[in-house]
Amino acid sequence: MPVYLPIAEMSVDALLLLGIGLGVGWLSGLFGVGGGFLLTPLLILIGIPAPVAVASGANQTLGASVSGLIAQWRRGNVDARMGCVLLVAGLAGSGAGTQLFVLLKRLGQIDLAVSLFYVVVLGTVGALMVRESLRAIIRRRRALPARTHQHSWLHGLPFKMRFRQSRLYISVIPPMMIGFGIGVLSSIMGVGGGFMLVPAMIYLLGMPTTTTIGTSLFQVTFVSANVTLLQALQTGSVDVVLTLLLLTGGVAGAQFGAAMGTKLRGEETRALLGLLVLLVAAGLLWGLLATPASLYLMGPAT
Amino acid sequence: MTLPAAASLAPLLAAFLLLATPALAQREPPPPAPPFAGPALAAELGQDRIAVDTSFSGADLLVFGATDRLLGPAGDNVVILGLGPPRDVVVRRRVRWLGLWVNGPSARFQEVPNYYAVAATAPVAGLLEEAARRERRLGLDMLTARLAGPRDPLFRAALVDLKRGSRLWNEEESPVEVSGGRLFHARLPLPSTIATGDYIVQVLLVRNNRIVARQELPFRVDRVGATARIADVARSLPFAYGLACIALAAFAGWLGSVIFRRG
Repeated sequence: MPVYLPIAEMSVDALLLLGIGLGVGWLSGLFGVGGGFLLTPLLILIGIPAPVAVASGANQTLGASVSGLIAQWRRGNVDARMGCVLLVAGLAGSGAGTQLFVLLKRLGQIDLAVSLFYVVVLGTVGALMVRESLRAIIRRRRALPARTHQHSWLHGLPFKMRFRQSRLYISVIPPMMIGFGIGVLSSIMGVGGGFMLVPAMIYLLGMPTTTTIGTSLFQVTFVSANVTLLQALQTGSVDVVLTLLLLTGGVAGAQFGAAMGTKLRGEETRALLGLLVLLVAAGLLWGLLATPASLYLMGPAT
Repeated sequence: MTLPAAASLAPLLAAFLLLATPALAQREPPPPAPPFAGPALAAELGQDRIAVDTSFSGADLLVFGATDRLLGPAGDNVVILGLGPPRDVVVRRRVRWLGLWVNGPSARFQEVPNYYAVAATAPVAGLLEEAARRERRLGLDMLTARLAGPRDPLFRAALVDLKRGSRLWNEEESPVEVSGGRLFHARLPLPSTIATGDYIVQVLLVRNNRIVARQELPFRVDRVGATARIADVARSLPFAYGLACIALAAFAGWLGSVIFRRG
Protein backbone atom coordinates (compact mmCIF):
# COMPACT_ATOMS: atom_id res chain seq x y z
CA MET A 1 0.00 0.00 0.00
CA PRO A 2 2.02 2.98 -1.22
CA VAL A 3 1.74 6.35 0.51
CA TYR A 4 3.29 9.62 -0.67
CA LEU A 5 5.39 11.48 1.91
CA PRO A 6 4.94 15.23 1.41
CA ILE A 7 8.29 16.40 2.82
CA ALA A 8 10.47 13.48 1.70
CA GLU A 9 8.79 13.86 -1.74
CA MET A 10 8.62 10.15 -2.41
CA SER A 11 6.28 7.19 -2.18
CA VAL A 12 6.91 4.42 0.35
CA ASP A 13 5.02 1.26 1.30
CA ALA A 14 2.91 2.13 4.36
CA LEU A 15 3.05 -1.45 5.70
CA LEU A 16 6.85 -1.37 5.69
CA LEU A 17 6.79 1.82 7.78
CA LEU A 18 4.24 0.31 10.19
CA GLY A 19 6.47 -2.75 10.59
CA ILE A 20 9.59 -0.70 11.25
CA GLY A 21 7.63 1.38 13.76
CA LEU A 22 6.38 -1.74 15.54
CA GLY A 23 9.84 -3.30 15.83
CA VAL A 24 11.59 -0.16 17.00
CA GLY A 25 8.71 0.70 19.38
CA TRP A 26 8.93 -2.75 20.95
CA LEU A 27 12.66 -2.33 21.62
CA SER A 28 11.99 1.18 22.90
CA GLY A 29 9.52 -0.04 25.49
CA LEU A 30 11.65 -3.04 26.44
CA PHE A 31 14.91 -1.19 26.97
CA GLY A 32 13.72 2.32 27.76
CA VAL A 33 15.51 3.84 24.79
CA GLY A 34 13.92 6.00 22.12
CA GLY A 35 15.24 3.76 19.38
CA GLY A 36 16.56 6.65 17.29
CA PHE A 37 19.94 4.97 16.90
CA LEU A 38 18.15 2.10 15.17
CA LEU A 39 15.39 4.00 13.38
CA THR A 40 17.46 6.66 11.62
CA PRO A 41 19.85 4.19 9.89
CA LEU A 42 16.85 1.99 8.96
CA LEU A 43 15.01 4.88 7.33
CA ILE A 44 18.10 5.86 5.35
CA LEU A 45 18.45 2.22 4.31
CA ILE A 46 14.96 2.18 2.73
CA GLY A 47 15.80 5.31 0.74
CA ILE A 48 14.45 8.20 2.85
CA PRO A 49 16.73 11.26 2.41
CA ALA A 50 19.08 11.56 5.43
CA PRO A 51 17.85 14.96 6.75
CA VAL A 52 14.23 13.77 6.65
CA ALA A 53 15.21 10.49 8.33
CA VAL A 54 17.00 12.30 11.18
CA ALA A 55 14.28 14.90 11.75
CA SER A 56 11.31 12.54 11.46
CA GLY A 57 13.16 9.93 13.52
CA ALA A 58 13.43 12.45 16.35
CA ASN A 59 9.72 13.20 16.06
CA GLN A 60 8.79 9.49 16.14
CA THR A 61 11.13 8.98 19.11
CA LEU A 62 9.12 11.65 20.94
CA GLY A 63 5.82 9.84 20.42
CA ALA A 64 7.23 6.42 21.29
CA SER A 65 8.87 7.83 24.43
CA VAL A 66 5.64 9.49 25.61
CA SER A 67 3.92 6.15 25.29
CA GLY A 68 6.70 4.34 27.17
CA LEU A 69 6.98 7.16 29.72
CA ILE A 70 3.30 6.90 30.65
CA ALA A 71 3.62 3.12 31.05
CA GLN A 72 6.70 3.52 33.28
CA TRP A 73 5.16 6.42 35.24
CA ARG A 74 2.22 4.20 36.23
CA ARG A 75 4.64 1.64 37.57
CA GLY A 76 6.36 4.39 39.60
CA ASN A 77 9.64 3.98 37.75
CA VAL A 78 10.31 7.63 36.87
CA ASP A 79 12.71 9.69 38.99
CA ALA A 80 11.38 13.11 37.90
CA ARG A 81 13.98 14.97 39.94
CA MET A 82 16.90 13.18 38.29
CA GLY A 83 15.14 13.60 34.93
CA CYS A 84 14.94 17.39 35.36
CA VAL A 85 18.62 17.67 36.31
CA LEU A 86 19.62 15.63 33.25
CA LEU A 87 17.24 17.54 31.01
CA VAL A 88 18.49 21.03 31.88
CA ALA A 89 22.06 19.97 31.21
CA GLY A 90 20.96 18.01 28.13
CA LEU A 91 19.29 21.03 26.50
CA ALA A 92 22.44 23.11 27.09
CA GLY A 93 24.52 20.28 25.62
CA SER A 94 22.38 19.96 22.50
CA GLY A 95 22.75 23.71 21.91
CA ALA A 96 26.54 23.30 22.05
CA GLY A 97 26.32 20.17 19.90
CA THR A 98 24.44 22.04 17.18
CA GLN A 99 27.31 24.55 17.02
CA LEU A 100 29.80 21.67 16.71
CA PHE A 101 27.65 20.19 13.93
CA VAL A 102 27.79 23.47 12.00
CA LEU A 103 31.58 23.58 12.47
CA LEU A 104 32.03 20.00 11.23
CA LYS A 105 29.81 20.76 8.25
CA ARG A 106 31.97 23.76 7.35
CA LEU A 107 35.07 21.53 7.46
CA GLY A 108 33.35 19.06 5.06
CA GLN A 109 33.07 15.34 5.81
CA ILE A 110 30.07 15.67 8.10
CA ASP A 111 28.89 12.26 6.81
CA LEU A 112 32.16 10.65 7.89
CA ALA A 113 32.10 12.42 11.27
CA VAL A 114 28.55 11.23 11.97
CA SER A 115 29.34 7.64 10.93
CA LEU A 116 32.51 7.56 13.02
CA PHE A 117 30.63 8.99 16.00
CA TYR A 118 28.06 6.23 15.63
CA VAL A 119 30.65 3.45 15.37
CA VAL A 120 32.81 4.70 18.25
CA VAL A 121 30.00 5.64 20.64
CA LEU A 122 27.77 2.64 19.92
CA GLY A 123 30.73 0.26 19.93
CA THR A 124 32.04 1.51 23.27
CA VAL A 125 28.66 1.66 24.97
CA GLY A 126 27.63 -1.75 23.64
CA ALA A 127 30.88 -3.46 24.65
CA LEU A 128 30.77 -1.98 28.16
CA MET A 129 27.17 -3.02 28.67
CA VAL A 130 27.67 -6.58 27.47
CA ARG A 131 30.77 -7.02 29.62
CA GLU A 132 29.18 -5.64 32.77
CA SER A 133 25.89 -7.48 32.44
CA LEU A 134 27.61 -10.82 31.70
CA ARG A 135 29.66 -10.36 34.86
CA ALA A 136 26.51 -9.63 36.84
CA ILE A 137 24.80 -12.73 35.46
CA ILE A 138 27.83 -14.90 36.34
CA ARG A 139 27.95 -13.41 39.81
CA ARG A 140 24.28 -14.23 40.34
CA ARG A 141 24.75 -17.80 39.10
CA ARG A 142 27.56 -18.28 41.62
CA ALA A 143 25.30 -16.74 44.28
CA LEU A 144 27.86 -14.15 45.28
CA PRO A 145 26.56 -11.23 47.34
CA ALA A 146 25.65 -8.34 44.99
CA ARG A 147 27.01 -4.95 45.87
CA THR A 148 24.34 -2.24 45.76
CA HIS A 149 26.72 0.44 44.56
CA GLN A 150 30.35 1.33 44.85
CA HIS A 151 31.72 4.50 46.38
CA SER A 152 34.15 6.47 44.24
CA TRP A 153 35.52 9.99 43.96
CA LEU A 154 32.20 10.94 42.34
CA HIS A 155 30.58 10.70 45.75
CA GLY A 156 32.93 13.23 47.30
CA LEU A 157 31.71 16.13 45.14
CA PRO A 158 29.70 19.05 46.62
CA PHE A 159 26.06 20.14 45.87
CA LYS A 160 24.59 16.90 47.10
CA MET A 161 20.97 16.21 46.37
CA ARG A 162 18.63 13.44 47.48
CA PHE A 163 17.02 11.42 44.68
CA ARG A 164 14.48 9.50 46.70
CA GLN A 165 13.07 7.36 43.90
CA SER A 166 16.53 6.10 42.96
CA ARG A 167 17.59 5.74 46.59
CA LEU A 168 20.62 7.97 45.94
CA TYR A 169 22.22 10.88 47.78
CA ILE A 170 24.83 12.25 45.36
CA SER A 171 26.22 15.50 43.99
CA VAL A 172 24.33 17.07 41.06
CA ILE A 173 27.63 17.56 39.16
CA PRO A 174 27.95 14.02 37.68
CA PRO A 175 24.34 13.93 36.36
CA MET A 176 24.83 17.44 34.94
CA MET A 177 28.01 16.36 33.15
CA ILE A 178 26.34 13.25 31.79
CA GLY A 179 23.29 15.20 30.60
CA PHE A 180 25.47 17.79 28.86
CA GLY A 181 27.73 15.23 27.17
CA ILE A 182 24.78 13.22 25.90
CA GLY A 183 23.12 16.42 24.69
CA VAL A 184 26.20 17.16 22.56
CA LEU A 185 26.37 13.63 21.15
CA SER A 186 22.64 13.37 20.51
CA SER A 187 22.47 16.54 18.44
CA ILE A 188 25.37 15.37 16.25
CA MET A 189 24.03 11.85 15.84
CA GLY A 190 20.41 12.95 15.56
CA VAL A 191 19.18 10.60 18.29
CA GLY A 192 17.51 11.06 21.67
CA GLY A 193 20.46 9.52 23.51
CA GLY A 194 18.60 6.97 25.64
CA PHE A 195 20.96 4.14 24.72
CA MET A 196 23.85 6.16 26.19
CA LEU A 197 21.85 7.52 29.10
CA VAL A 198 20.71 4.15 30.46
CA PRO A 199 24.23 2.72 30.92
CA ALA A 200 25.57 6.08 32.15
CA MET A 201 22.92 6.19 34.88
CA ILE A 202 23.56 2.59 35.90
CA TYR A 203 27.35 2.55 35.88
CA LEU A 204 28.31 6.16 36.62
CA LEU A 205 25.51 7.19 38.96
CA GLY A 206 24.70 3.77 40.41
CA MET A 207 20.95 4.07 39.82
CA PRO A 208 18.82 0.90 39.95
CA THR A 209 17.83 -0.44 36.49
CA THR A 210 14.10 -0.05 37.24
CA THR A 211 14.25 3.74 37.61
CA THR A 212 16.86 4.28 34.85
CA ILE A 213 14.44 3.19 32.13
CA GLY A 214 11.60 5.49 33.18
CA THR A 215 13.96 8.39 33.87
CA SER A 216 15.74 8.00 30.55
CA LEU A 217 12.37 8.03 28.76
CA PHE A 218 11.55 11.25 30.62
CA GLN A 219 14.73 12.89 29.35
CA VAL A 220 14.46 11.49 25.81
CA THR A 221 10.87 12.78 25.48
CA PHE A 222 11.90 16.37 26.06
CA VAL A 223 15.18 16.23 24.14
CA SER A 224 13.43 14.78 21.07
CA ALA A 225 10.72 17.46 21.31
CA ASN A 226 13.49 20.06 21.25
CA VAL A 227 15.21 18.40 18.27
CA THR A 228 11.89 18.20 16.38
CA LEU A 229 11.26 21.91 16.83
CA LEU A 230 14.85 22.88 15.89
CA GLN A 231 14.73 20.67 12.78
CA ALA A 232 11.34 22.07 11.72
CA LEU A 233 12.73 25.60 12.05
CA GLN A 234 16.21 25.12 10.59
CA THR A 235 15.95 22.41 7.93
CA GLY A 236 12.18 22.03 7.44
CA SER A 237 12.63 18.28 7.04
CA VAL A 238 10.18 16.87 9.60
CA ASP A 239 7.74 14.68 7.66
CA VAL A 240 4.60 14.38 9.76
CA VAL A 241 3.06 11.66 7.57
CA LEU A 242 6.19 9.52 7.96
CA THR A 243 6.20 10.18 11.72
CA LEU A 244 2.57 9.23 12.23
CA LEU A 245 2.91 6.01 10.22
CA LEU A 246 5.96 4.99 12.25
CA LEU A 247 4.14 5.91 15.46
CA THR A 248 1.05 3.87 14.64
CA GLY A 249 3.22 0.77 14.79
CA GLY A 250 5.50 2.26 17.43
CA VAL A 251 3.00 2.94 20.23
CA ALA A 252 1.64 -0.58 20.05
CA GLY A 253 5.15 -2.01 20.08
CA ALA A 254 6.21 0.15 23.03
CA GLN A 255 3.37 -1.20 25.19
CA PHE A 256 4.26 -4.82 24.46
CA GLY A 257 7.92 -4.04 25.07
CA ALA A 258 7.27 -2.35 28.42
CA ALA A 259 5.12 -5.27 29.60
CA MET A 260 7.81 -7.73 28.56
CA GLY A 261 10.58 -5.64 30.13
CA THR A 262 9.10 -6.11 33.60
CA LYS A 263 9.42 -9.89 33.19
CA LEU A 264 13.11 -9.79 32.33
CA ARG A 265 15.86 -9.40 34.90
CA GLY A 266 17.87 -6.14 34.84
CA GLU A 267 21.13 -7.84 33.81
CA GLU A 268 19.47 -9.73 30.98
CA THR A 269 17.78 -6.58 29.66
CA ARG A 270 21.12 -4.79 29.71
CA ALA A 271 22.95 -7.66 28.02
CA LEU A 272 20.37 -7.74 25.22
CA LEU A 273 20.44 -3.96 24.74
CA GLY A 274 24.25 -4.08 24.72
CA LEU A 275 24.22 -6.78 22.03
CA LEU A 276 21.78 -4.78 19.92
CA VAL A 277 23.90 -1.63 20.20
CA LEU A 278 27.02 -3.61 19.24
CA LEU A 279 25.21 -5.10 16.26
CA VAL A 280 24.22 -1.66 14.94
CA ALA A 281 27.80 -0.42 15.45
CA ALA A 282 29.17 -3.41 13.54
CA GLY A 283 26.70 -2.81 10.70
CA LEU A 284 27.69 0.83 10.40
CA LEU A 285 31.39 -0.03 10.55
CA TRP A 286 30.85 -2.52 7.73
CA GLY A 287 29.22 0.29 5.74
CA LEU A 288 32.38 2.38 6.13
CA LEU A 289 34.78 -0.46 5.30
CA ALA A 290 32.98 -2.40 2.54
CA THR A 291 33.44 -1.32 -1.05
CA PRO A 292 30.22 0.53 -1.97
CA ALA A 293 28.07 -0.77 -4.84
CA SER A 294 28.33 2.61 -6.52
CA LEU A 295 31.45 4.72 -6.18
CA TYR A 296 29.49 7.85 -6.91
CA LEU A 297 26.62 9.58 -5.20
CA MET A 298 24.48 12.50 -6.18
CA GLY A 299 22.94 15.33 -4.21
CA PRO A 300 21.40 18.73 -4.71
CA ALA A 301 23.93 21.56 -4.92
CA THR A 302 23.93 23.77 -1.85
CA MET B 1 1.16 29.49 -33.10
CA THR B 2 -0.42 28.23 -36.35
CA LEU B 3 -1.40 30.97 -38.74
CA PRO B 4 -4.16 30.23 -41.28
CA ALA B 5 -1.87 31.30 -44.12
CA ALA B 6 0.91 28.99 -42.98
CA ALA B 7 -1.63 26.22 -42.57
CA SER B 8 -2.78 26.44 -46.18
CA LEU B 9 0.76 26.80 -47.46
CA ALA B 10 2.14 23.89 -45.52
CA PRO B 11 1.03 20.99 -47.75
CA LEU B 12 2.33 22.85 -50.80
CA LEU B 13 5.64 23.54 -49.09
CA ALA B 14 5.88 19.99 -47.89
CA ALA B 15 5.30 18.65 -51.41
CA PHE B 16 7.84 21.07 -52.80
CA LEU B 17 10.42 20.09 -50.23
CA LEU B 18 9.94 16.41 -50.94
CA LEU B 19 10.55 16.92 -54.65
CA ALA B 20 13.36 19.43 -54.30
CA THR B 21 15.23 18.07 -51.29
CA PRO B 22 18.49 17.02 -53.02
CA ALA B 23 18.75 20.27 -54.92
CA LEU B 24 17.80 22.35 -51.89
CA ALA B 25 20.32 20.63 -49.68
CA GLN B 26 23.11 21.58 -52.07
CA ARG B 27 22.08 25.18 -52.39
CA GLU B 28 21.72 26.12 -48.71
CA PRO B 29 22.43 24.36 -45.39
CA PRO B 30 19.29 22.97 -43.76
CA PRO B 31 17.96 25.25 -41.03
CA PRO B 32 17.91 23.66 -37.53
CA ALA B 33 14.12 23.95 -37.18
CA PRO B 34 12.16 24.81 -40.30
CA PRO B 35 9.76 27.63 -39.52
CA PHE B 36 6.67 25.76 -40.53
CA ALA B 37 4.86 23.83 -37.88
CA GLY B 38 1.50 23.38 -39.48
CA PRO B 39 -0.93 20.53 -39.64
CA ALA B 40 1.89 18.16 -40.56
CA LEU B 41 1.85 17.27 -36.87
CA ALA B 42 -0.80 17.61 -34.17
CA ALA B 43 0.00 16.34 -30.68
CA GLU B 44 -1.63 16.56 -27.27
CA LEU B 45 -1.00 15.42 -23.70
CA GLY B 46 -3.38 13.12 -21.85
CA GLN B 47 -3.33 15.59 -18.95
CA ASP B 48 -1.66 18.96 -18.48
CA ARG B 49 -1.36 18.55 -14.71
CA ILE B 50 0.00 15.64 -12.70
CA ALA B 51 -1.60 15.77 -9.26
CA VAL B 52 0.62 14.48 -6.44
CA ASP B 53 -1.63 13.41 -3.56
CA THR B 54 -1.05 11.09 -0.59
CA SER B 55 -1.63 8.01 -2.73
CA PHE B 56 0.69 9.12 -5.59
CA SER B 57 3.09 6.35 -6.54
CA GLY B 58 4.25 7.55 -9.93
CA ALA B 59 2.30 8.01 -13.15
CA ASP B 60 2.48 7.56 -16.90
CA LEU B 61 1.97 10.67 -19.01
CA LEU B 62 0.15 9.90 -22.25
CA VAL B 63 1.39 11.79 -25.32
CA PHE B 64 -0.66 11.27 -28.47
CA GLY B 65 -1.24 12.83 -31.86
CA ALA B 66 -1.49 12.42 -35.60
CA THR B 67 0.58 13.26 -38.65
CA ASP B 68 -0.44 14.14 -42.20
CA ARG B 69 1.72 11.44 -43.79
CA LEU B 70 2.29 7.81 -43.02
CA LEU B 71 4.57 6.97 -40.13
CA GLY B 72 6.93 4.03 -40.41
CA PRO B 73 10.33 2.86 -41.56
CA ALA B 74 9.79 4.19 -45.09
CA GLY B 75 7.95 7.34 -44.08
CA ASP B 76 7.99 9.93 -41.32
CA ASN B 77 9.06 9.39 -37.74
CA VAL B 78 8.03 10.97 -34.45
CA VAL B 79 10.43 11.74 -31.58
CA ILE B 80 9.07 12.70 -28.13
CA LEU B 81 11.25 14.46 -25.57
CA GLY B 82 10.19 15.19 -21.96
CA LEU B 83 12.17 17.65 -19.85
CA GLY B 84 11.82 18.60 -16.16
CA PRO B 85 12.77 21.81 -14.37
CA PRO B 86 16.57 22.39 -14.24
CA ARG B 87 18.46 22.04 -10.94
CA ASP B 88 22.12 22.23 -9.95
CA VAL B 89 23.47 18.82 -8.97
CA VAL B 90 26.66 17.73 -7.18
CA VAL B 91 28.16 14.31 -7.93
CA ARG B 92 30.67 13.02 -5.39
CA ARG B 93 33.14 10.19 -5.76
CA ARG B 94 33.83 7.98 -2.76
CA VAL B 95 37.50 7.33 -2.10
CA ARG B 96 39.34 5.11 0.35
CA TRP B 97 40.98 6.94 3.25
CA LEU B 98 42.71 4.94 6.01
CA GLY B 99 40.59 1.95 5.03
CA LEU B 100 37.32 3.91 5.23
CA TRP B 101 35.17 5.02 2.32
CA VAL B 102 34.75 8.77 2.48
CA ASN B 103 33.41 11.44 0.13
CA GLY B 104 36.22 12.53 -2.13
CA PRO B 105 36.30 14.85 -5.13
CA SER B 106 33.05 16.28 -6.39
CA ALA B 107 31.73 17.82 -9.59
CA ARG B 108 28.98 20.41 -9.80
CA PHE B 109 26.72 20.40 -12.83
CA GLN B 110 24.51 23.37 -13.57
CA GLU B 111 20.97 23.38 -14.94
CA VAL B 112 20.59 19.60 -14.98
CA PRO B 113 17.05 18.67 -16.05
CA ASN B 114 15.44 16.99 -13.08
CA TYR B 115 13.52 14.76 -15.48
CA TYR B 116 14.43 13.51 -18.94
CA ALA B 117 12.73 11.06 -21.25
CA VAL B 118 13.07 10.27 -24.94
CA ALA B 119 10.83 8.00 -27.01
CA ALA B 120 10.64 7.59 -30.78
CA THR B 121 9.10 5.45 -33.49
CA ALA B 122 12.62 4.24 -34.42
CA PRO B 123 16.07 4.55 -32.77
CA VAL B 124 16.86 8.27 -32.70
CA ALA B 125 20.51 7.75 -33.63
CA GLY B 126 19.37 6.47 -37.06
CA LEU B 127 16.88 9.28 -37.62
CA LEU B 128 18.91 12.45 -37.15
CA GLU B 129 22.47 13.64 -37.64
CA GLU B 130 24.58 14.12 -34.52
CA ALA B 131 24.49 17.92 -34.84
CA ALA B 132 20.70 17.96 -34.80
CA ARG B 133 20.56 15.50 -31.88
CA ARG B 134 23.04 17.60 -29.94
CA GLU B 135 21.06 20.77 -30.59
CA ARG B 136 17.79 19.20 -29.39
CA ARG B 137 19.44 17.14 -26.61
CA LEU B 138 18.07 13.90 -28.05
CA GLY B 139 19.81 11.11 -26.14
CA LEU B 140 21.46 11.07 -22.73
CA ASP B 141 24.96 11.32 -24.26
CA MET B 142 23.87 14.49 -26.08
CA LEU B 143 22.25 15.86 -22.93
CA THR B 144 25.31 15.40 -20.73
CA ALA B 145 27.69 16.65 -23.43
CA ARG B 146 25.92 20.01 -23.27
CA LEU B 147 25.80 20.33 -19.46
CA ALA B 148 27.84 23.11 -17.86
CA GLY B 149 30.31 21.65 -15.38
CA PRO B 150 33.67 19.85 -15.11
CA ARG B 151 34.71 17.99 -18.27
CA ASP B 152 35.72 14.77 -16.44
CA PRO B 153 33.84 12.07 -18.40
CA LEU B 154 33.70 9.77 -15.36
CA PHE B 155 31.53 12.22 -13.43
CA ARG B 156 29.25 12.70 -16.45
CA ALA B 157 28.86 8.94 -16.83
CA ALA B 158 28.18 8.63 -13.08
CA LEU B 159 25.50 11.34 -13.30
CA VAL B 160 23.74 9.40 -16.08
CA ASP B 161 23.97 6.13 -14.13
CA LEU B 162 22.61 7.67 -10.92
CA LYS B 163 19.76 9.48 -12.69
CA ARG B 164 18.82 6.36 -14.63
CA GLY B 165 19.02 4.31 -11.44
CA SER B 166 16.52 6.64 -9.76
CA ARG B 167 14.28 6.30 -12.88
CA LEU B 168 14.26 10.08 -13.34
CA TRP B 169 16.07 9.84 -16.67
CA ASN B 170 15.22 7.34 -19.33
CA GLU B 171 16.02 6.93 -22.96
CA GLU B 172 14.02 5.01 -25.56
CA GLU B 173 12.77 2.45 -23.05
CA SER B 174 9.60 1.82 -25.00
CA PRO B 175 8.94 3.00 -28.57
CA VAL B 176 6.25 5.41 -29.73
CA GLU B 177 3.37 3.18 -30.83
CA VAL B 178 1.76 3.82 -34.21
CA SER B 179 -1.75 2.78 -35.15
CA GLY B 180 -3.42 3.18 -38.51
CA GLY B 181 -0.26 4.63 -40.01
CA ARG B 182 -0.90 8.20 -38.83
CA LEU B 183 -1.90 8.03 -35.16
CA PHE B 184 0.83 7.78 -32.57
CA HIS B 185 0.96 7.57 -28.80
CA ALA B 186 3.58 7.07 -26.10
CA ARG B 187 3.66 6.92 -22.31
CA LEU B 188 6.39 8.80 -20.48
CA PRO B 189 7.02 7.15 -17.06
CA LEU B 190 7.03 9.60 -14.13
CA PRO B 191 8.44 7.97 -10.94
CA SER B 192 7.10 8.81 -7.47
CA THR B 193 10.23 10.85 -6.66
CA ILE B 194 9.37 13.35 -9.42
CA ALA B 195 9.86 16.98 -8.38
CA THR B 196 7.07 19.52 -8.58
CA GLY B 197 7.32 22.29 -11.16
CA ASP B 198 6.93 23.11 -14.85
CA TYR B 199 7.70 20.41 -17.39
CA ILE B 200 7.73 20.45 -21.15
CA VAL B 201 7.14 17.77 -23.76
CA GLN B 202 8.51 18.37 -27.27
CA VAL B 203 7.06 16.36 -30.13
CA LEU B 204 9.23 16.37 -33.26
CA LEU B 205 8.28 15.15 -36.72
CA VAL B 206 11.32 13.81 -38.56
CA ARG B 207 11.41 13.39 -42.33
CA ASN B 208 14.53 12.52 -44.32
CA ASN B 209 16.87 13.13 -41.38
CA ARG B 210 15.40 16.56 -40.74
CA ILE B 211 12.99 17.96 -38.20
CA VAL B 212 10.10 19.29 -40.27
CA ALA B 213 7.62 20.09 -37.52
CA ARG B 214 7.75 20.63 -33.81
CA GLN B 215 5.22 21.12 -31.04
CA GLU B 216 5.84 22.11 -27.41
CA LEU B 217 3.35 20.90 -24.81
CA PRO B 218 3.83 22.18 -21.25
CA PHE B 219 2.54 20.38 -18.17
CA ARG B 220 2.84 20.87 -14.43
CA VAL B 221 3.53 18.52 -11.53
CA ASP B 222 1.65 19.85 -8.48
CA ARG B 223 1.00 18.68 -4.97
CA VAL B 224 -2.71 18.61 -4.16
CA GLY B 225 -4.92 18.01 -1.13
CA ALA B 226 -3.37 17.09 2.22
CA THR B 227 0.09 16.67 0.67
CA ALA B 228 0.03 20.25 -0.63
CA ARG B 229 -1.27 21.66 2.66
CA ILE B 230 1.36 19.87 4.76
CA ALA B 231 4.20 20.98 2.50
CA ASP B 232 2.90 24.58 2.43
CA VAL B 233 2.52 24.85 6.20
CA ALA B 234 5.95 23.27 6.80
CA ARG B 235 7.49 25.93 4.56
CA SER B 236 5.51 29.03 5.51
CA LEU B 237 4.89 28.43 9.24
CA PRO B 238 7.82 26.24 10.40
CA PHE B 239 7.40 27.08 14.10
CA ALA B 240 3.70 26.26 14.18
CA TYR B 241 4.37 23.14 12.07
CA GLY B 242 7.08 21.98 14.50
CA LEU B 243 4.77 22.50 17.48
CA ALA B 244 1.98 20.64 15.67
CA CYS B 245 4.34 17.72 14.95
CA ILE B 246 5.30 17.57 18.64
CA ALA B 247 1.66 17.73 19.75
CA LEU B 248 0.56 15.08 17.25
CA ALA B 249 3.37 12.70 18.18
CA ALA B 250 2.74 13.18 21.91
CA PHE B 251 -1.01 12.68 21.38
CA ALA B 252 -0.40 9.48 19.39
CA GLY B 253 1.85 8.20 22.17
CA TRP B 254 -0.70 9.04 24.85
CA LEU B 255 -3.55 7.52 22.82
CA GLY B 256 -1.58 4.32 22.43
CA SER B 257 -0.97 3.98 26.14
CA VAL B 258 -4.68 4.59 26.89
CA ILE B 259 -5.88 2.05 24.32
CA PHE B 260 -3.45 -0.59 25.49
CA ARG B 261 -4.21 -0.12 29.18
CA ARG B 262 -7.87 -0.90 28.54
CA GLY B 263 -7.10 -3.75 26.19
